Amino acid sequence: MPKIRIKVDEDLCIGAASCVTIAPETFQLNSENKAEVYDHGQAPGGPTYERWLEVTQEQQENILLAAQSCPTLAIFIFDEAGKQLFPEL
Amino acid sequence: MRYLIIGGGIAGTTAVEELRKLDSSDEITLVSEEQHALYSRVLLPHYLKGKIPRERVFLKKESWYEEQKIEWVRGISVVKLDPKNTFVELSDGRELPYDKLLIATGGELRTLGLDVRGVSYLRTLDDADHLNQLLAEQGSSCRGGVYGGGFIACEYINLFAHFGIPTTVIFRGNHFWSKGLEPEVGRLINQHLIKKGVELHPGGLFVDTMGERELTGFISSLGEHPCTILGVGIGIESDDGWLREAGVKVEAGIVCDEFLQTSEPNIFAAGDVAEFYDINVGRHVRVGNWMNAQMQGRVVAKNMAGEKTVFSLVSSYATNALGLEIIFVGDVSRAHADEVRLVGSVEQGGITQLFSRAGQLIGAVLVGRNTDRPIITKMIQEKRRASEFK
Repeated sequence: MPKIRIKVDEDLCIGAASCVTIAPETFQLNSENKAEVYDHGQAPGGPTYERWLEVTQEQQENILLAAQSCPTLAIFIFDEAGKQLFPEL
Repeated sequence: MRYLIIGGGIAGTTAVEELRKLDSSDEITLVSEEQHALYSRVLLPHYLKGKIPRERVFLKKESWYEEQKIEWVRGISVVKLDPKNTFVELSDGRELPYDKLLIATGGELRTLGLDVRGVSYLRTLDDADHLNQLLAEQGSSCRGGVYGGGFIACEYINLFAHFGIPTTVIFRGNHFWSKGLEPEVGRLINQHLIKKGVELHPGGLFVDTMGERELTGFISSLGEHPCTILGVGIGIESDDGWLREAGVKVEAGIVCDEFLQTSEPNIFAAGDVAEFYDINVGRHVRVGNWMNAQMQGRVVAKNMAGEKTVFSLVSSYATNALGLEIIFVGDVSRAHADEVRLVGSVEQGGITQLFSRAGQLIGAVLVGRNTDRPIITKMIQEKRRASEFK
């Protein structure tokens, strides 16, 4: 299974919740109305804006769709080698 | 199949992207009034505050359109539609035929109709560039004015505050979103803004600008207000004459069903312009937010390609007025609700206003109560009773 790193830039996030609508297992809003990253609905180690996830290809595509839907492009996705998958550079 | 998409914003461009994913051989034409590749209007305030460079507002590169084999007609609008002979006429005189047509033209900015330098709007990238220029020129001599009591007014207030610019705000009602929010909720927002140093004048009507070529202030029904930049946020309207003439059913927006199909065969609508049947709240609604436009773009493409898909989304929009979070979820039309109820209070620093129809929760506005959002969204989706929310 692919391993990816997901990071939310809390300064860019405005709580539009597009990501939560598309990938609720991965993104949830906190009390500050910012999206935190979840690992398949769980938050081992507590709430965080950044997390490594092991996902299926299908899950990865859905997370990518969630990142693409963010109107402020606040979600960054990296592959195991550290290459930024989204936003494309 | 020849697909014709009118409107290069997030609804139209998402539809184009989805159509291309569904079939690589179809002919797809995108007609866009703006010259720019798709950008995020939601990012414009971030750009103006210097949080991101200008190039980061773009969501598509210019080369993307060609790579996707999309004929991109830019800087052009549609002047006529002939549904019988299935073609549209463009502002440059060209005629384009279609098999399936999508109208995703968004809204037109409502303006004051005045052209004094210093009057600013905030909808397009060009508007933002203009405002950026004004801010840079004026520097510390800038004094901000805001006319309006909605989302755009909040953006101006935040922007001026970011640069430490003293700000005067005037709107027609007694408070922000005065048609929809209860007085107590309005008071909460007013008090917050005043506490943060904004000079607030409710109940004022714009009369005229002051200054010959450069703005020096504006006159309202309440008096004179000096300012060097006047941010105007008084809503959007539709340029729908060409649609009405063509016989397409238009009310507040283009009327369409839950498949985003209009009254005319092979013509669809999506985004701010669509007044669609919302299965979650049981009536036709017009929604002007990013999430709605994007998700509709995705669903309408499927329907255009013949894959019948119901559009179902409890959309929401969040803003922030100098640190106070304000979130709109679902159907928040006061006129279409038969009951509203408040949870929380000014003293507690947060109020959620619930909208219900025949007892069913259909929408809510959350002011300073972010944590209500997931449960309320779920309750609307599940068509639960408003009384269940405590």
